[in-house]
Amino acid sequence: MVVAGADIGTECVKAIVATDDGKVVGRASVPTRGYFQDCYQEALGNALAEAQAKLADLRATVVTGFGASCAPLATRTVAETLCHARGAFHHLHRPMTLVDIGGRDPRVLRVDAHGGVTSTRSVRKCAVGIGTFLMFTSRHLDVHPTRLMDLATTAERPAQVGSYCSVFAEVEVIELLRQGATAGEIALGAMYSIADRIMEMDRLDGTVSISGGVCEYFPGVSRALGERSGCPVEIVPEPIMAGALGAALYAIDAARGGQA
Amino acid sequence: MNASARLKELMNAHFAGVDRAARERTAPVAWCTSVGPVELLRALGYEVFFPENHGAMLGASRVANEVMGRAHALGYSPEICSYLTSDIGSYLLKKTPLQRHGLSGAPRADVLVYSTNQCREVRDWFEFYAREWNVPVVGVTSFRDIGEVETHHVDAIVRQLEALVPTLESVAGRRLDAARLEEAVGLSRTCSELWGSCLRAGASRPAPMTFFDGTIHMGPAVVLRGTREACDYYRLLDAELRERVRAGVGALPRERFRIYWDGMPVWGRLRDLAALFARLETSVVASTYCNSWIFDALDPADPLPSMARASLELFIARAEGPKERYLEARIEEFSVDGVIFHDSRTCPNNSNARFGMPQRLRKATGTPVLVIDGDLNDLRCYSDEQARTNIEGFVEQLEGAPPRATA
Repeated sequence: MVVAGADIGTECVKAIVATDDGKVVGRASVPTRGYFQDCYQEALGNALAEAQAKLADLRATVVTGFGASCAPLATRTVAETLCHARGAFHHLHRPMTLVDIGGRDPRVLRVDAHGGVTSTRSVRKCAVGIGTFLMFTSRHLDVHPTRLMDLATTAERPAQVGSYCSVFAEVEVIELLRQGATAGEIALGAMYSIADRIMEMDRLDGTVSISGGVCEYFPGVSRALGERSGCPVEIVPEPIMAGALGAALYAIDAARGGQA
Repeated sequence: MNASARLKELMNAHFAGVDRAARERTAPVAWCTSVGPVELLRALGYEVFFPENHGAMLGASRVANEVMGRAHALGYSPEICSYLTSDIGSYLLKKTPLQRHGLSGAPRADVLVYSTNQCREVRDWFEFYAREWNVPVVGVTSFRDIGEVETHHVDAIVRQLEALVPTLESVAGRRLDAARLEEAVGLSRTCSELWGSCLRAGASRPAPMTFFDGTIHMGPAVVLRGTREACDYYRLLDAELRERVRAGVGALPRERFRIYWDGMPVWGRLRDLAALFARLETSVVASTYCNSWIFDALDPADPLPSMARASLELFIARAEGPKERYLEARIEEFSVDGVIFHDSRTCPNNSNARFGMPQRLRKATGTPVLVIDGDLNDLRCYSDEQARTNIEGFVEQLEGAPPRATA
């Protein structure tokens, strides 16, 4: 028996195919461009291909994320908070403060000893689009997003990007360029600005676990968060896939007919 | 609800009455803030119009976002009350949902009467119209962030209420009659008790009425307070709710969770949010907002002091401590599983998530809390997607929470 979980996000669609004992046998991530439905089909198809399985083999499919409503044939939809918490807990098996940083809507979650979410704090509406902001920053610095981190490592200190509004922050990047800041300083500053926004959302204590695509591609954000918070920071294994993994675990529940 | 047909008749008659008075000069017309000193106006024979009710209509009809830009262009910031900017924009563009009730626009006032017990904006709002129409604007500059309501607070407000009387008498062309004031205060008190009884029905499982229903049924408590019609309406509604409770009929087909809503409604998304909570089988059983038109202090034997005390005891006028104690009591009374705070961008005085209250409430009661960003009328401040995912996640979080004892 195999099941699938998919996290249909604003920057990437992630899919996981797993066996009923939770072993991941297929995974895929595709950039979100154009229609969510097409990206979802592509990601799921790629994950199934890696698992050497067919669509008809799926006993259940659970979807989550911004575009979850674009997968109407899924067995069920589960909130992103729960999927990220479950995916992270599957790896770490302990209570945690989990920071999920995706393309759109970062969250600070408190996860209890059973993997349950006990509180959720979101970023304020005007700061939505944090991961996407990094993509815009790459464009202004004229580098591919995957090179933004390399650029940041060339800087000795971050430029100050202080606005909580993603659009204003983008304008700040342009102003910094005009003022002569180096591309590396701006790249690093953009990552620190994300850490600062997260620090405003909730009190961070203990070891902070991080999931989501931002820390996969921009680990400077995790380092900045550790530095700003003074807390040890731990990146969840395969952080970009945490939501999809959680969704797959809910799909196993659904296939078993239990509490999903 | 069967009472809805009567509600529609009453609201139509209210709008027609105040419009006729303004057009045909059959009675003096006053504008009054929603928790202002309406009993004085009733006693003096005024037809009373409540612009906050109009603001809510502009929001619910989503006309607000079409018109408020005109008020911004006049210097009224997008950061101030979007009732104010919606209403002034509506006036400037002559576009209003009142047209569905046969009115061409909000009726012209002979006098504007405010109380700042809720916010400063109401005064600025009324002063705009005072300049437009060259009519008097009078009011009460109230205390805010009150811990315990003390005698000196009450005395100061009584003096201000007394000071309103000469202007109100002059515009109305008659003297204030003590017996009529006592009657108006008595009717307001009765209306308040009956509306309170309707809302307390929400403590039953399943709740017979949701917050979303309540925001509609509270119309008479706002615009007809101090009249017999309002009292008759709430007797009708209360009887229907009691019958629902007796028969075990809930507002939702299934009620898995019970939520308390703090803050303003998101008027332009009332229907969507009601549908979302219904789909999640989660009943929003009580709210600070609907409870705001319960005035326990009103006493016909002591009109002005009791009006003053009632205006000061309001939740919105109180400090964080009394507000927290109030919310803790409502969590118990309504056996709620979670509290949602609506942080309304342009209504800071009705947003209680800005000074750490959700965190303290969670710690004190163990009840999960969620804060959603939005606004009463300005949908630019509201994200459907963010609100939906946060609410869905919150309800799924409640599924994993330890169950509360049932009432």
